[in-house]
Amino acid sequence: MIRRLRVLWNNLFRRSQLDADLDEELSVYTELVADEKVQSGMSHDEARRDARREMGGVEQVRQNVRDIHAGIWLEKLGQDIRYGVRSLAKNPAFSLVAIATLALGIGANTAMFSLLDQIVLRLLPVKQPERLVKVTVLGNNYGNTYGTDRVSWPMFEDLRGGNKVFSDMFCRFLATVTLGYGDRATQAKAELVSGSYFPILGVGAALGRTIAPEDDNIPDERPVVVLSYSFWRNYFNADRTIIGRTIVLNGHDMTIIGVAQSGFDGVELGNAAQMFVPIMMKTEMTPHSDGLKDRRRRLAWVAAYGRLKPGISAQKAQSSLQPLLHGILEMEVQQADFRQFSDEDRRQFLRNRIEVLPGSDSWLGNYMRRPLWILFALTGAVLLLACANLANLMLARATAREREIAVRLVIGAGRGRIIRQLMVETLLLAGAGAVVGLALAFLADRLLIRMYLPANEAAEFVVSPIPDWRVLGFAFGMLLVTLLAFGLMPALRASRTEAAGSLKERSGTGSAASVSLRRMFVSAQVAMSLLLLVGAGLFVRTLRNLQNQGPGFPTNHLLEFNLNPSLNGYSNQQTEAFYERLNVELQAIPGVSSVGLSSMPILKGYAWQNAVLGDLSGARAEDQPVLSEVGPNYFATLGIPILEGREFTEQDRGPQKYGMINQSFAKRYLPPGDPIGRRFGLVDDQDPAHQPDIQVVGVIADMKYRDLRETPPPQAYFPYFQGASFRFMNVYLRTQSDPRQLQNQIQERMRQFDPHVPIVGLQSVDEQIDWSLRTERLVASLSAVFGGLALLLAVIGLYGVMAYTVTCRTREMGIRIAMGATRLKIIGMVMREASVMVLAGLSAGAVLALALANLIRNQLFGLNPHDPWTLIGASFSLAIAAELAGFIPALRASSVDPTNALRQE
Amino acid sequence: MTRAQSDLLQGTLDVLILKALALQELHGMGISRRIAQMTNATFDVKAGSLFPALHRMEQAGWLTSSWGQAETNRRAKFYSLTETGRKQLQTKTEHWTGIAVAMAAALGIS
Repeated sequence: MIRRLRVLWNNLFRRSQLDADLDEELSVYTELVADEKVQSGMSHDEARRDARREMGGVEQVRQNVRDIHAGIWLEKLGQDIRYGVRSLAKNPAFSLVAIATLALGIGANTAMFSLLDQIVLRLLPVKQPERLVKVTVLGNNYGNTYGTDRVSWPMFEDLRGGNKVFSDMFCRFLATVTLGYGDRATQAKAELVSGSYFPILGVGAALGRTIAPEDDNIPDERPVVVLSYSFWRNYFNADRTIIGRTIVLNGHDMTIIGVAQSGFDGVELGNAAQMFVPIMMKTEMTPHSDGLKDRRRRLAWVAAYGRLKPGISAQKAQSSLQPLLHGILEMEVQQADFRQFSDEDRRQFLRNRIEVLPGSDSWLGNYMRRPLWILFALTGAVLLLACANLANLMLARATAREREIAVRLVIGAGRGRIIRQLMVETLLLAGAGAVVGLALAFLADRLLIRMYLPANEAAEFVVSPIPDWRVLGFAFGMLLVTLLAFGLMPALRASRTEAAGSLKERSGTGSAASVSLRRMFVSAQVAMSLLLLVGAGLFVRTLRNLQNQGPGFPTNHLLEFNLNPSLNGYSNQQTEAFYERLNVELQAIPGVSSVGLSSMPILKGYAWQNAVLGDLSGARAEDQPVLSEVGPNYFATLGIPILEGREFTEQDRGPQKYGMINQSFAKRYLPPGDPIGRRFGLVDDQDPAHQPDIQVVGVIADMKYRDLRETPPPQAYFPYFQGASFRFMNVYLRTQSDPRQLQNQIQERMRQFDPHVPIVGLQSVDEQIDWSLRTERLVASLSAVFGGLALLLAVIGLYGVMAYTVTCRTREMGIRIAMGATRLKIIGMVMREASVMVLAGLSAGAVLALALANLIRNQLFGLNPHDPWTLIGASFSLAIAAELAGFIPALRASSVDPTNALRQE
Repeated sequence: MTRAQSDLLQGTLDVLILKALALQELHGMGISRRIAQMTNATFDVKAGSLFPALHRMEQAGWLTSSWGQAETNRRAKFYSLTETGRKQLQTKTEHWTGIAVAMAAALGIS
């Protein structure tokens, strides 16, 4: 094999060998001329000089000869390409299937790799991104937290001051603010950053300057803001005079000091920062929570990052930080706010561990990692299948062309020339496939990004559908491997053809080896198709299960949006009044039958949790129900049945605190018996002596809270007007008809109602649920498409092989029929052959599917990864399709006319 | 070589090389000397035109080459006619005979 490759190599690229030969040839010529002159009496030296002069410049002669070769080579290449295009055009069915197969393999892989690379694999666009790490604490913080990757402000300061592994650390917190500029108001994402943020990241300014350490020394002191490059372009139209101007954030004047370098949107993918503000301005940016000045250790809100010192690995940093963390925890556990917790809780708390993650760690990346890897693995299967299909096609074609090649060999074409011809043809196919594939990948990624992100976010999302050079390299790498696998093998085989033998043969029957190779490829295709079909079945059924499940209440005719008047600097009283008036205003819109407010959005993955105190709460503090503050009519609006007691009313204001719970809460935290009138409390880290003070007035049926996958968790609800402060609120409207008809009207009403309070995320709850299932839908629809295409390719492959075998054996069939075989018998014979291939493929595919199914266990819902019905269903449909594909050639074989068949040869 | 000769060479070189190789295989210098001998030294083919022509004709499949032993024990590349080359020689000979006869008649030489 290696020898053969070398021959091929020489034929294609033997320039240097040729040059050496030419040099030798020319120098021998000169020497021979000199020899001649010496013989005729010249001195040796004189003869050589003369000979060289006569030669007239070796370099020029050499160049002339080379030009001749290059010209001939180009001319031949032109011929090969013309010939290749003509022979591909002569067989359009073959060419189309081959190009489509290639495009599918390359397109699917490039599209998925592009997403995987940008969402999961790629590092941040900062200085030495591999040395940047995120520092988090694993375990319960026993307090409030903005996410599992957050630490408290004092904890950050302790880590920054006490560590020996980082050259420096920074922290950040992404806040939603109301931005006023000119007469426009909008919500924007502001990244609150410590002064070390830009220096550590090594991110510079495109305009003006970035936030420096001295901007972040004293609380409330420096009202400055740096815009992100894309926000500056999109919202401020790339106005270069913007530096030094003032914008209003949450009612505070802020001076724009710079625009960050292009391509930098903060450090969290999928949560792009539109502007950067010193974290010392926290009070102004988040009017209703502090954490910076009150220095609470039980409130984890900043994400902490560090740049590793030279020579320190992430693992080394992690083990070095652990004792530091333990010391801090030992100190924290002694503090007053820990007194209310049990000894077991304390022990648990001291077991918290430092975790050092890559700096590019993001929620989106973590959330999408598994689905994207699964889809990428599926596209890998598609690629294998495409390769098997192409190899099969090329083998069939090479066999069919043996005669043509034999003729060309006889009339004097060199073997190298024929191999080159086949390679050119293969390259033409592959090139066309690659071009179509890349175009497909681009379109697919654009579609996927649009499907995956709502329109307004897609515009600012940093994932781009344009494949970068690495993706292109990846695609061409695959192309090359595919090319070598299916282009070279038939080419080598075809060129070995014994001309005489092939010409003598009747109709180009291929060797037994090539037919069995093709059968093997068909079986491999069937196996891959089964794998993809089983995957598709599992994912489609998961999606259907989730859709059928529902959240536990009717979601049609339900509209939602959210707003936050407190960001406008409205006081508590103003905000409370705002919500009261809002309720009345919305209720008055014709077509709205009911309005409900909730401080927590449902089915968006968010949860507010707190530990419970109760009569009988033997439960540990770690075990927390989910909570929300809601308005009157909230449950009636959502359509959640009240099982016992009543819903909140405007009268439930106090001093007595009221609560509603769901069934699971009652079972989990309350003693058996009627829950109405019982009391429970929330653990408060500010008030260790807190008593159960909330009286249960009603019990609702279980409903889902975070997402459709969860089993309804224990839940408790409180009247929002009994809460300590009023902020963010989600508004739910039950409508009489299609909720989307009301959207424009509501938008308009709200603008008149208060032009300074932007409303966000106006959509129907059905749309929202659809949106929450986007990953499942993405995986289900893509795997279904892949599965369908795989089935089609496998069927085409099987049909091709069977049709070919039958054609080759026309004579044999004729003889059999002449000898008295019935049609049925002939059909049976052919079908048996097809079935062997299909069965071999199905068994291999089933083994693969069963072995790999566990990898996707977490992605499934409501069914087992080894679900027998999915496997049986997929095998069955594949078998039927394959048998049908085999039946057509079988039918043809059975209707062979024996006299014709025997005469033909 | 005068300009007239070089013009003539454009069309004649191929046929002269074919003719030179008709009897035996030769290396580059051998071909050059053989042509000089055949044409009574009218044509002195220099390396600058000889080698490009040889390589072109070899690529066209008229000649094949192999390395062999030359005079004074040097290793040299020998060219010989292929079957196609022989046919070419035949065709070209007929062609040239036609031209030669016509030209002779026209110029009143015969």
